[in-house]
Amino acid sequence: MNAVLLSLLGAVIILDKYALGEFGFSQPIITGTIIGAIFGDLWFGIFLGAMMQLIFLGGLPIGRDIPPDGQAAGILAAGSYFLLRGGNALGHSLFLAVVFGLTGGIIGGVLEVYTRRFNERLYNRFIHHEECLYICHTTGLATAFIRGLCLFLPLFVVSTLITVPGIFPQISQDTLMIIGVSIGLANSFYLFIKVKTVIYLLIGGICGLALAVF
Amino acid sequence: MQSMGFLSDLIAGVGEGRRAEIIRTQKGLFNTHPYMVSYIVGATVRAYDEGHASAEEIRKFVNVAQTSFASAGDLLFWRTLRPALLLLAVILGVNYGIVGPLSFLIIYNVFHLFHRMRGIYDGYNRGWDVIYVLKMRRFKFIRETFEALGALLSGLLFSLAGVNVQYLLVIPLTALFMIMLTRRYSAVLIIISFLLLVFIIGLV
Repeated sequence: MNAVLLSLLGAVIILDKYALGEFGFSQPIITGTIIGAIFGDLWFGIFLGAMMQLIFLGGLPIGRDIPPDGQAAGILAAGSYFLLRGGNALGHSLFLAVVFGLTGGIIGGVLEVYTRRFNERLYNRFIHHEECLYICHTTGLATAFIRGLCLFLPLFVVSTLITVPGIFPQISQDTLMIIGVSIGLANSFYLFIKVKTVIYLLIGGICGLALAVF
Repeated sequence: MQSMGFLSDLIAGVGEGRRAEIIRTQKGLFNTHPYMVSYIVGATVRAYDEGHASAEEIRKFVNVAQTSFASAGDLLFWRTLRPALLLLAVILGVNYGIVGPLSFLIIYNVFHLFHRMRGIYDGYNRGWDVIYVLKMRRFKFIRETFEALGALLSGLLFSLAGVNVQYLLVIPLTALFMIMLTRRYSAVLIIISFLLLVFIIGLV
């Protein structure tokens, strides 16, 4: 699959974030699985998606807060890894994929602010032209799609074209796992650990240690 | 976009014949939790069908309901149910492949689609009393169950790290990220720190 098709697919999937349904298809673990399956490496897609998921587990869109775009980060990390892997060493591809994913997550959050402002203007237009309800609503959906396309296309094109020199930094799967699990643990402790849930954490921790040892 | 979606839902529920009246009386900012909209739509459609309440009264109900359902939905879905199920998906996914993502999609959508469908039903049947649905035991029970599940899975997440010596790095790194989270550093700053960490490790 080339960069343009992958961007189109990503832009469709990212509609799930706010615009259509919110069924959870845009969560990094799911997008990683989809993109991994397309490129014929399901497990690595799931792994990359899982790591991105752990990083963005605590980024909650509560109230008016707009966190960095974890969904876009998941699509970018998995997509760019498989595009980069064609012409680069695995360590370099993984490093750049993580960088592209996280940078894209931050840019995605900024773009979301502008998209919301544009949607407010659409709403104001509707207030003054009541007959435009369905047109304004559909334009809002189109804006969400275009936001995704603007975010994915440049980074996927770069991922297709770039060849990384040997001296470039690289990371291994194990290293990414260590950092991913660390931030995932911090996020989950932050979300779930209270006085009355500590007992469940301890049970889980004992079971986890047992699984790790045996 | 929710404001226009809410109006579209109301028009679909009440009927195209009253389109102009609904747009005239209900156009205003609408923002609540997306899975909880159906409760408000159901109750508002009933108010229009009965015809006893004035447009001003319906508007007041919508304003109160959107705030109540937003905070309840954020707490139940965004802060508890979704992260807990995503943790489950991550642990199962890394260990057993496709089982993880599939389990998330199935369980999560069963819960959220139940609320969306039940919301229309409860909203229409209970009318403006639908707000009291939030005090029902099922909301509290689901939240507490998934909080416990989330805590249990937080412990199990450690199993992904294994028992290799280099995995001891997980302990100081977790502490570092915990400090950043509890001190409420911005999410962007935490991601930049993560990027820096990856960059330093990448160079080493």
